[in-house]
Amino acid sequence: MTDQNWSILIPEIFLFIWALFIFGLDLGIKRKNPKILGYSAMAGLTITGILLAIFNGGILFKGMFQSDQLAIFFKVIFIGSAFMAVGSSFDIASEKIRHHRGEYYGLILFSTVGMMFLSSASELITLYIGMELTTIPLYVLAAFYKDDKLSVEAGLKYLIVGAFSSAILLYGLSLLYGLTGTTDIVTMKINLSLVFLSYGKIGPGLILAMIMVIAGIGFKLALVPFHMWAPDVYQGAPTPITAFLSVGSKAAGVVAFARIFVNGLIAFASDVMKPLDWGIIVAILAAAAMILGNITALRQRNIKRMLAYSSIAQIGYVMVGMVAASELGIASVGYYMFIYLFANMGAFTIATIFNDKTGSDGIISYSGLSKTSPIFAAYMSIFLLSLAGIPPLGGFAAKYLVFAAGIQAGYTWLVIVALLTSVVSLYYYANIIKTMYFSAEEPTIKIHPSFPANLVLLISVIGIILFGIFPGPILDWALESAKIFAF
Amino acid sequence: MVPMPHYLILSALLFAIGAAGVILSRNLLIMFMSIEVMLNAANLAIITFSRFLNVMDGHVFVFLVMAIAAAEAAVGLAMIITIFRNRGTIDADKFNLMKW
Amino acid sequence: MNQTLFLIPLFPLIGFLLNGLFLGRLNKKLISLIACGSVGLSFIVGLKMFFQLISLPENTRAIEEILFTWIPSGEFVVSFGYLFDPLSAIMVLVVSGVGFLIHVYSVGYMHDDPGYGRYFTYLNLFIFAMLTLVLANNYLLMFVGWEGVGLCSYLLIGFWFEKKSASDAGKKAFIVNRIGDFGFILGLFIIFWNVRSLDYNEVFVRAPEVFALGGGLITAATLLLFLGATGKSAQIPLYVWLPDAMEGPTPVSALIHAATMVTAGVYMIARSNVLFMLAPSTMTVVAIVGIATALLAATIALAQNDIKRVLAYSTISQLGYMFTACGVAAFAAGIFHLMTHAFFKALLFLGSGSVIHALAGQQDMRYMGGLKRHMKTTYVTFFIATLAIAGIPGLSGFFSKDEILWKAFSSNQGSIWIWLVALFTALMTAFYMFRLVFLTFYGQERMDHHTKEHLHESPKMMTVPLSILAVLSIIGGYVGIPHILGGGNQFEKFLEPVMKGVHHGGEEHALASSGHSAGTELTLMFGSVALILVSIYLSYYLYVKNVALVGRLRNSVSGIHKIIYGKFFIDELYNAIIIRPLVGGSLFLWKIVDVVLIDGVLNGLAILIGDVSLGARKMQSGQLRRYATVFLAGVVIIIGYFALR
Repeated sequence: MTDQNWSILIPEIFLFIWALFIFGLDLGIKRKNPKILGYSAMAGLTITGILLAIFNGGILFKGMFQSDQLAIFFKVIFIGSAFMAVGSSFDIASEKIRHHRGEYYGLILFSTVGMMFLSSASELITLYIGMELTTIPLYVLAAFYKDDKLSVEAGLKYLIVGAFSSAILLYGLSLLYGLTGTTDIVTMKINLSLVFLSYGKIGPGLILAMIMVIAGIGFKLALVPFHMWAPDVYQGAPTPITAFLSVGSKAAGVVAFARIFVNGLIAFASDVMKPLDWGIIVAILAAAAMILGNITALRQRNIKRMLAYSSIAQIGYVMVGMVAASELGIASVGYYMFIYLFANMGAFTIATIFNDKTGSDGIISYSGLSKTSPIFAAYMSIFLLSLAGIPPLGGFAAKYLVFAAGIQAGYTWLVIVALLTSVVSLYYYANIIKTMYFSAEEPTIKIHPSFPANLVLLISVIGIILFGIFPGPILDWALESAKIFAF
Repeated sequence: MVPMPHYLILSALLFAIGAAGVILSRNLLIMFMSIEVMLNAANLAIITFSRFLNVMDGHVFVFLVMAIAAAEAAVGLAMIITIFRNRGTIDADKFNLMKW
Repeated sequence: MNQTLFLIPLFPLIGFLLNGLFLGRLNKKLISLIACGSVGLSFIVGLKMFFQLISLPENTRAIEEILFTWIPSGEFVVSFGYLFDPLSAIMVLVVSGVGFLIHVYSVGYMHDDPGYGRYFTYLNLFIFAMLTLVLANNYLLMFVGWEGVGLCSYLLIGFWFEKKSASDAGKKAFIVNRIGDFGFILGLFIIFWNVRSLDYNEVFVRAPEVFALGGGLITAATLLLFLGATGKSAQIPLYVWLPDAMEGPTPVSALIHAATMVTAGVYMIARSNVLFMLAPSTMTVVAIVGIATALLAATIALAQNDIKRVLAYSTISQLGYMFTACGVAAFAAGIFHLMTHAFFKALLFLGSGSVIHALAGQQDMRYMGGLKRHMKTTYVTFFIATLAIAGIPGLSGFFSKDEILWKAFSSNQGSIWIWLVALFTALMTAFYMFRLVFLTFYGQERMDHHTKEHLHESPKMMTVPLSILAVLSIIGGYVGIPHILGGGNQFEKFLEPVMKGVHHGGEEHALASSGHSAGTELTLMFGSVALILVSIYLSYYLYVKNVALVGRLRNSVSGIHKIIYGKFFIDELYNAIIIRPLVGGSLFLWKIVDVVLIDGVLNGLAILIGDVSLGARKMQSGQLRRYATVFLAGVVIIIGYFALR
């Protein structure tokens, strides 16, 4: 492994140039053809994926940029979620964002580049920049319907809370830097262990830093109590962007969290620190997320808002695996995000298509969908049941693994909370299925998605079923990627 | 030479003022400026540490943060203009179409 | 190592996906090409692998391919892999070979059915599941195939779901099978709990160390596995679903309910021979249940009038034979009979399908007769199959049946009583099978005038598979000619590496130890053949020569006839002692316990949570400053938590 292996940057560089190319292409075709931009964005993402398979494994800039298995695993999730978000955007691209298609697709790609940098960051400066690169394009995308009051309000709320949290994160990072004397995460881990060995405890300044970092990343994860922005932004933003936010951006937060806490600040999770370790804090926050998210989702009438609360709850489940801070824990988190990619992108894609057709996001308007569009009703049921964790779908295996990791690490109470709340969650997921299948109202709407949206749905369904029945390959890969932390 | 704690206390105060500004002000522009104050408080802390630890990476960090803050400001101001056109106000409390 | 094994189940899976995805959008030619072609390819690959297998030295004849780790979860590690050894080789060839012929036959048989595409989709899925079952290298994967074939069987029995009797029969099959599956999976739990693995290799190597010979645990485990087998293979007490399963299309009856799926139980027991040999009391149970089923089903078959029902009971009876063979530790003989039975029983069903086709759906033998003159090919092939099942020397059934009879008599686990009952059953088999032939193909044409006008031989698409199966029914037995006739029983020798549980060290040794001479074997063989011939003549006398006698006979023993005709009223018995109390009990549970108690508590809880939900929503005021405040408050609270500690 050489120190200066520039080739590992090729996927990021390519995607960045491709995004610029799409800006130019839009001008070149005089903003006429709505489809070509979308297809070229999808092509660019596919090529990036291929490049990723060729150029990986190595470090660059003295370890600031690291292309290890964990990074690759999550980069695949980011590229996948961007691909699906683009695929489900074709219908709105032909109508609602007629004048800025190039910017729309380009910004999605920019944000993806940011996520990819973030997942490779093994150092605080890269990490912070990656995070901002991810978020700033998303501010714009959330407000992309310039004339729609909801969309602009969503963008504004996202921006203010996001910038606020970013400031808190930065302050936390500055303290971490000052008190450990380094920005490199591995060096930080060593320094902290030394501090720990010589003093037997860790000072209040570091604890303050840790809490601020939790808050800053908690914003990206929409972890309670840093979640307040999520329902509003999810509701107002264009639906494909909501989907991208809920999967890609969240996965970016997950990988950043894993890098800082499970690696750099692992000393905070040692038994001697209890009950002052980060594990217990995150466990409490996760429990709060599962309880609040699931209960609030019960009485939602807007499907995007309901999915927002559901995704708040889902991140609670992911955190169960995270606090385990073990190899199985990180692997289960990876597997969970992988399945979540399919299930959530799929559900939001259906919501997008449905909204294009009817202009409505109300759950009630899904009545009788099974009669007019049986295939899409079946798809939606599969996505929702996977989110609820029903076997043999992927969501079940994911929840099972996360819970197993939690119990292994001694967080039995947290797993019990998770089990109880997932029972509650079944209620609101099943409610939509009930509305689609057993509503007495006469259905009138028939949905015809575009080809790329169909493709996205098909990929999602196959992914959920296939990796639900055969979790082996993905889980092996996730276990491999968890090894980099050397527990 | 001024000792390190002085810088850090100043930075903490700036941060607190910024946070208070975000929470207490109803004017979007002032909220946004307060966030910039918070970012600069963090910058001050970083540069202090960098100076007293005698390592240079803190300087790099600060430059990059300034660049990011500029980008954020550009997007933020554009967004505030858009919402002003859309609603005719920049009173943060008025934007509650989406709730519950 | 070049991996080709996974191709065998892959082809039908692709066929299933293609036909399933484009359901109804392809034309019939393409559908049948995909369906038949995929199974044919499986057969070709299977054949290639078979030759590869026999080119290996005898004691290393097993090709294993592990595709990937399926469930890596702590101690519970299951790989997804295929195992091709002599036993699975035979099963693969039978399933894909007979399956292919039946696919081709179905092209002709189902030609005018509106559900053509759906039919072949299910059929391919079935082949895929069945191949997974027989190729699995561990019990869990076998269980997946086991459930898969059960599902396909359910779908295909209820294929004409508009007909209530068909959908009821489907449900019955499904429910009865569930009982068996429950036993199967419990048995697997016991095995895994003790051996800590479900891989065949590991289980069979470690089982003799882990389990005591004849111990309680292994007996329980094998009994539970056997319960699973009785469900799938229609043995007492779970055989009741199979006769009703005849509601499905006839090729389905031939493929699933005669040749392949119902033999899965026999395959499973033969595969687990190491385990079963550790539990002698289970072996006794298997033998007794097998022989009792054979006898009971043969008796019922004597009095049935529906052509497919006779064949269904005959299938149950022959399966009983196979279990008897397993019960007396003659696993190879059981598999031998499984193979020959697959040939001639598939042929019988397809032949009956051809007859039913010609008679425009008529299945009652009382309205048939004289078809010999109208359907030459069907008649000849059907007759060959009947000779084979009756055990006439020179045809396949003779060798396999005689092997079982001899083993029942001579083996250490066998006894003269089992042999006697088995022989008696064989006589009845010959009798009712020839009764069927005589009623269908001989005598007067008893169908109505209109049908008679339209009598016709079936199309080539159907008669060619019949002819091929007829050839197989004749020659299929020559792979296992017994020692006594100078054959050296190649079949048994081929299977020997798999039968690790049976430590006899060859036929000669077994003969010497059980103290039976070659003379005894020959005497028994010729004696039973002579008796079978008598039985056939009796049938001829009653149903061709002196038809009036039958009616008089039936009247004189009308009580017995009624009981047999009513299938010993087993269905009614089950209904009275199991189903009714169960329904009553569940009504109580539903109306009182569920609705009042559980629903009351749960609904109360749901309303409470709903109210909390309404309250929780109110936190989300929509105001930015509130959001930032909560954010900061969160940070402050966590700091407070640390400060107070």
